[in-house]
Amino acid sequence: MNREPGTVQKALRQSMAWIHTWLGLIAGWILFAMFLTGTASYFRPEITRWMQPELRAKSVSAAQATEAAVRHLQATSPDDEQWFIYLPDDRTGVTRVFMRARPNPDPEAPPPPRRPEVKLDPATGAPLAARETKGGEHFYRFHFQLQLLHPWGRWLAGFCAIFMLGAIISGVITHKRIFADFFTLRWGKGHRTWLDAHNASAVLALPYHAMITYTGLITLMLMYMPWPIEANYRNSDNFAVEAYGRDAEEPAAGRSVPLAPIGPMIGAAMHEWDGAAPRTVVVRNPGDAAATVTLLRSPAGQLDARAGSIVFSGTSGERLSASQPPGPAAQTAGVMLGLHLAHFAGPALRWSFFLLGLVGTAMVGTGLVMWTAKRRRPAGNADFGFRLVERLNIGAIACLPAGMAAFLLANRLLPADMPGRADLEVEAMFWTWFGLAALSVLRPVRRAWIETLTLSALAFALLPLVNAVTTDRGLLRSVAAGDWLFVSFDAAVLAMSGLLGLAAFRAHRASARQGRASTRNAPGRPSLAA
Amino acid sequence: MQIFGDDVAKQGSVGVGRRNAGWQMAARCATALVGGYAAAAGFASLLARLLPVARAEATLWGMIVSFLLFACLGLWAFYEARLARVAAVIWSGAIAAGTIVALLGPRA
Repeated sequence: MNREPGTVQKALRQSMAWIHTWLGLIAGWILFAMFLTGTASYFRPEITRWMQPELRAKSVSAAQATEAAVRHLQATSPDDEQWFIYLPDDRTGVTRVFMRARPNPDPEAPPPPRRPEVKLDPATGAPLAARETKGGEHFYRFHFQLQLLHPWGRWLAGFCAIFMLGAIISGVITHKRIFADFFTLRWGKGHRTWLDAHNASAVLALPYHAMITYTGLITLMLMYMPWPIEANYRNSDNFAVEAYGRDAEEPAAGRSVPLAPIGPMIGAAMHEWDGAAPRTVVVRNPGDAAATVTLLRSPAGQLDARAGSIVFSGTSGERLSASQPPGPAAQTAGVMLGLHLAHFAGPALRWSFFLLGLVGTAMVGTGLVMWTAKRRRPAGNADFGFRLVERLNIGAIACLPAGMAAFLLANRLLPADMPGRADLEVEAMFWTWFGLAALSVLRPVRRAWIETLTLSALAFALLPLVNAVTTDRGLLRSVAAGDWLFVSFDAAVLAMSGLLGLAAFRAHRASARQGRASTRNAPGRPSLAA
Repeated sequence: MQIFGDDVAKQGSVGVGRRNAGWQMAARCATALVGGYAAAAGFASLLARLLPVARAEATLWGMIVSFLLFACLGLWAFYEARLARVAAVIWSGAIAAGTIVALLGPRA
């Protein structure tokens, strides 16, 4: 290197600005969708509850919910190999159970079919009937699987995430005045305004963006970066056992012994965990002499998403073993996972994360729009690349929200007992999203922005209305009943509608201003960005 | 590269420059993306293999830092002007780290 120090810095900034632009552009549209659906996923159980308005959450103790679920399981599937009981908490309000049948002793026989999860009343253990839906799970899955076949969606999401990480690092290096950018927002200055908005949203929440991107990669690191395991283990299964502990896998003894009551085991575990409740109960070989009961600690109230577990004998109730406390690396990975999922967060922190997620979405969106604003020529841009970016921006930024609203609207408008309705809700999202994006190509760019943003805003505004008409849990009744989940949901979708409406309004004003300017000056293709 | 050189020589000096630049950029991108991943995987594996802590812990540390390594290597590939140097450092780093890990073999 024989560059002068000043030149080195300049070259560094220039190369980083260049790579920042292209990393952001290539991954931007998918990142926008990952950010927006991921942000919605902070309220995954709440969205599921909104999408099954027939169900009312009940709060019962872990021991009571477990005993109720076990009564149901003993009556319906006493011969299964394993029962998984997901206990209700303040957010889900229902018990979920999943049963795994004993494998057929004949190795030639096909494996027993996977049975769907069942929702149970936490207090009585009776199965709950509600409309079929993917609920908040849909946004959550889309956020990292992108509705593609396994494993391609996860790889594509990882590809975009590493681009995001590169864009964050190069973006920070590009900056000369990171502190001043914090306070700079020049409205109505064309590409300058978008730059300021991009900087403000990026710098304001920089620790959040860096955290959420890096921890996102960590959530799937065993898939993205398995090579360190290969370097240390002949049999990679041993890594999971050493790092996360062995799952109970004893075979059945073949003698039937009644299952010991699980309530006292939960009491003992909660004592050992300083009052923390279990989240999941796994019963292996129920009703057999070799039965075990594994209690998994709830990660609520701690940063590490991988909370410990205790194994009890299913016949005597005696404590058999417990997971080892994690080492520094396992704890680091667990805390990173926890930070990404935010299960530890209470309502105030959760809403803060939600807002930060929206800021991240805005950062990606403003960056994408800036790319076109910076390159727009007064006489219009003829090249295909520019027009493609312009159209994809509209499709990703303005049309995705309409798709998400359509998913929620379909939940209310499709008959509750319609077969296959869960998949139709998902199809409603993609048909609306891509259909609207395709139709918008028929309109001039400025009109397309205004019209798709307006439609997205209207779709969100319709939600409280449709909810009030199709269920008995409309806004007024929810307020009267103190049903804050439904009240908050309506408030949140109205706020989304307001944001999208504001964006449509600003696009309209910018377009009108540009229209006047272009009639005064030369005829040209006016820009949204001005 | 030789075949390609003959091909573009007929198209005049401007064409050579532009097409060469295109190929060089493609090679740089491939080195950053594929080579960067390979080098990050190699160094992370080497760290996992050599770190004097329990092997599960060392493995996790390797995986945790690998993404930062990948991002930094990838960005450096676009900062360093000389493509030959970029390719040499990243690809030989990947091969060297991978070879050492393979020669050491898994921990007992």
